[in-house]
Amino acid sequence: MKTIFKFATLTLTLTIMMFAVSVSSFAAAAKAENLVRGIIGPVASNTSWSGYSTMALIPGAGLIPITSTKAVFYLGFTAGSEADINNMVLYTTARGSSTITASTPVTLGGISNPSIDLASATVCPVVEISDFNPCIVRLDPTTITLSALNDYYLVVYFTADDSNDTALGLTQPSFGQSSLRGSYVTGDESRLSVGGSIPNTPFSNQPYMLMYVMND
Amino acid sequence: MKSFYRLATLTLMMMVLAASAFAQKQVPETALVNLTEGQGTIASSGNPSWDGLSELVLIPGASLMGASSSTTALYLGFTGGSEADIGNMVLYEVPRNGSTVLKVEKVTLGATQSPSIVLTDTSTCPVQPVSVTNPCIVRLDTVKLALSPLDDFYFAIYFTLDTNNEKISGAGQTGSQGALSGFSIYGDQTRVGVKGALPTNEDTDQPPFFLAYIAND
Repeated sequence: MKTIFKFATLTLTLTIMMFAVSVSSFAAAAKAENLVRGIIGPVASNTSWSGYSTMALIPGAGLIPITSTKAVFYLGFTAGSEADINNMVLYTTARGSSTITASTPVTLGGISNPSIDLASATVCPVVEISDFNPCIVRLDPTTITLSALNDYYLVVYFTADDSNDTALGLTQPSFGQSSLRGSYVTGDESRLSVGGSIPNTPFSNQPYMLMYVMND
Repeated sequence: MKSFYRLATLTLMMMVLAASAFAQKQVPETALVNLTEGQGTIASSGNPSWDGLSELVLIPGASLMGASSSTTALYLGFTGGSEADIGNMVLYEVPRNGSTVLKVEKVTLGATQSPSIVLTDTSTCPVQPVSVTNPCIVRLDTVKLALSPLDDFYFAIYFTLDTNNEKISGAGQTGSQGALSGFSIYGDQTRVGVKGALPTNEDTDQPPFFLAYIAND
């Protein structure tokens, strides 16, 4: 009888221990990972963005096979005291296509039109921001599972006639090894509808501002 | 009595099932996987005389491919020379897209940071002579460090000021550099301390000469 008690207790303890190890293993799998190869190396600066839309292509063909139900975008700023964003959106297209099949709001602090206080040490720990000390801002996680069968475009429109955005500097990559590509256009391209087209502009350069796309 | 038997049997079955699942999960982790994209082809042009030079190679956190590993193995590619006399090797950790050193890890070969690699030795380089068509890939000792996508890393290697190093050449300038980029700079750049600044890369995104691959093992 005692032996059975001991055996049952030992086995139960072992099971609990193994369960704990499994759980911690699953927890470790949730750590931050790249969904695509982000911006590499030092950055330069490009200023005066009032009334412009930045567009960053996240190619499905560049996705690293990390399973994630969300995408987190990191934006880089190099100059200015405040970024006044009018709207942010993520468009989905079929790979290589410019026809929009889905439009997903992208937010910071729960809103798509945040003003980012770049002079705040809680936002940008190293003050003053510069090419050497870019301020990297993590947006809210966007609930979307990026698919290798699609392409994605992150579009951020900066408010027109806004002195803050005129003084604003965005990161401009120096190295060309990222999977990301980008462009910019005048006017608001963040309110296109499903069925509409991504503006016909060359995505031959590294993107302004978008630095990383991660799972967290 | 029967209840105890049932409980013991059920628990034992659960444990066996859990152990089986756990064992299956472990298998892929032992496989050799790339931590980032290494160099695709081997070339040899553009090598300077390496005596007294350091090479710094950026391993970008933004390029890590999600392989879970607590260790990092660095592989060097040689395409010429008879002996490489290394003065020191380290791995710097810096903020992403930054240059201020957060941490310094020793990198060794045969447990020493200053090895001499005899490239004419067939136990080191099986196919002789070492050339662009027969590059010698040397695996350094595994570094007990998990590369994080939230940081960048620089591998720094200093070649002693001697005649052997005048004749060695590395695998650059390859046309398919993967995610790696490197630059050479005069003097020993492997002794920068924590909070120090790494030298400025004036060669922009050129492929590295010696660091060819970065894997988990």
